Amino acid sequence: MILSMQHVPVILIALPIIFGSLTILFRSKSTLQKTLNIAVFSFLLALSIALLLHVWYNGILVYEVGEWGKYGILLVADLLGAGMVVLSSLISLMAMIYATDYMDRKALDSTFFPLFNLMVAGLNGIFLTGDIFNLFVFFEVLVLSSCGLIVLTGRGDHTKMADKLEAIFKYLVLNMVSIILMLVSIASLYATVGTLNMADIAVKVGYLADAGELPWHIHVIAMTFIVVFGYKAAMFPLHFWLADVHPSAPAPIHAMLSGMVIKVGIYGILRVHYLIFSESMFMLQPILIILSLVTIAVGATSAIGQYDLKRLLAYSSVSQIGYVLLGVGMGTAYALTAAIVYLVNHAIAKSMLFLTTGETLYHAGTKDMRKMGGYAGSAPFLCIIFLIGSMSIAGLPPAGGFFAKLLIFDAGLSAQFYIPIAIALIFAIFTLFYLFRTWLTIFWGEVKYCDPTEACNIRNPTTSIKVALSLLAGVVIFIGVYPEPLIALSSVIAGQLLDPQPYITAVLERSVR
Amino acid sequence: MNPTMLSITIALLFGIGTFMILRRDMIKVAIGITVLSHATHMLIVTSGAFLGGKVPIITSDHESGSGIIFMDDIAAGVFAPIVPEGTEMIYSDPLVQALTLTAIVISLATTAVLLILAYRVYQEHGTTDLNEIRRLKG
Repeated sequence: MILSMQHVPVILIALPIIFGSLTILFRSKSTLQKTLNIAVFSFLLALSIALLLHVWYNGILVYEVGEWGKYGILLVADLLGAGMVVLSSLISLMAMIYATDYMDRKALDSTFFPLFNLMVAGLNGIFLTGDIFNLFVFFEVLVLSSCGLIVLTGRGDHTKMADKLEAIFKYLVLNMVSIILMLVSIASLYATVGTLNMADIAVKVGYLADAGELPWHIHVIAMTFIVVFGYKAAMFPLHFWLADVHPSAPAPIHAMLSGMVIKVGIYGILRVHYLIFSESMFMLQPILIILSLVTIAVGATSAIGQYDLKRLLAYSSVSQIGYVLLGVGMGTAYALTAAIVYLVNHAIAKSMLFLTTGETLYHAGTKDMRKMGGYAGSAPFLCIIFLIGSMSIAGLPPAGGFFAKLLIFDAGLSAQFYIPIAIALIFAIFTLFYLFRTWLTIFWGEVKYCDPTEACNIRNPTTSIKVALSLLAGVVIFIGVYPEPLIALSSVIAGQLLDPQPYITAVLERSVR
Repeated sequence: MNPTMLSITIALLFGIGTFMILRRDMIKVAIGITVLSHATHMLIVTSGAFLGGKVPIITSDHESGSGIIFMDDIAAGVFAPIVPEGTEMIYSDPLVQALTLTAIVISLATTAVLLILAYRVYQEHGTTDLNEIRRLKG
């Protein structure tokens, strides 16, 4: 068992890539393809949970691709990486189950499955790699596959093809610019310390700092990395693309983009900055706190004025990612714990909300909230799930978001960040307002039928959509009622982030062949 | 290879690329992205090239001590590919060339996607002017 566990990190990346190319062969057999994909994704979820348990009990797992020690590419599964892989496997499995009934037949038969597999491979690769250039490669895999996925159509998708293409053009060009910036930063870092292994870079930067010879451009590189990851995470000056791009995607992809792909930026800051640039954090933490507060404010105020349901939730994502960044910026062990709990909660609750939204839009036949109303009678299931999601995002018990918000505010107060917490609290009330106004507008009030020829209540969720949504809702409620395991895991992760010595030792003790 | 000329070339390419992606025409934006990527590739190669560096192939008549390729000695404050003072550097760094090849392949793929996308946007919108392709608002 121990021997086979060693290979799990590479299987988590290689299996989706291999299966993504194999699944093209079955494109004429729709049922077989759906069954196989759900089986493979369930297997990936089981593997990732096994990996997390293994890392929890036996310490950090390092897989050497090519057995070149720190000079080759290493896959490192520590608690943060393995935890993020579990999260992304869970959400991608649910999105996959949902998508088998939601996506158009044409999209399912052609490009959906291969690109979705590649996207998951990119996510797993980002969370497991220990090499900073490899991180860049997986970023590109993620960006290109998500470009191909945004263009597909589903049954509740009212976005025109012209708008989708415009959104993808924005997404791709802006991502290319940020990726080029990342490459420039990696080249500068390599020219300074002469290695690409993140643990090795951390050791060498630490040596330079101890000797008092830290070159000033290390701080500049740290800032450009903040720009790169802040772009991925939709941090304030770089948030403008999200509200155009995410609503253009079909619901399962929207859930993946808002649930996992923007979390990649947070993961990057947690991994790269807390490991390598811990010397620059004294300068970056105030910047992160100020920008996160502006992100919260801009996202929440933009969401209030929206009538387009998907756009409203996209702005809500911007606002919520600000809370995670606030926790990351405060930088104490407690605040990092809170940030990770918030990240997990937001990922699950937001992807559930987006999956529900896709089905609600299909039920309503429009995406304008003003034309919806009174669906509690015709779609009681969607009504309940949407309520659970809204409660979790707004931070009401018994949903998981309550503990996430509580921990963030408590961490801020115990670290004496009174003014930032006051601002965050005001916009938490905004969140409550716009989400419950949305819920009331859609599900209560006068019954409105969008299409006179076709009554809305015949367009109801199918079984697999109900299964995916109920499972996610169950997870949200479970985290809300019994959050201790998640909080314990997050506090251990936060401790490892602030003291990365076990990570460095586990990577550098590998012998070079 | 003259490092000053190389630096000026890379700086000029970055400038041209940035200017091009700020243009209104979609194809010019695509060209700008390509120019920027190649400027970055040159930057990566430059970070491992040394004055008078030879091809990094170690032959059998290599004498140990005559040409240090990499010294990775933290205790002595020496990081590859930076070499200590007074050591003769005769080989250029091979790793950056592998990195550049990877980056070139990736930039090829993204450029292809970008150009196809530009063509499809032109088909749907009937124009390549980015100021007219602005329907997503709110």
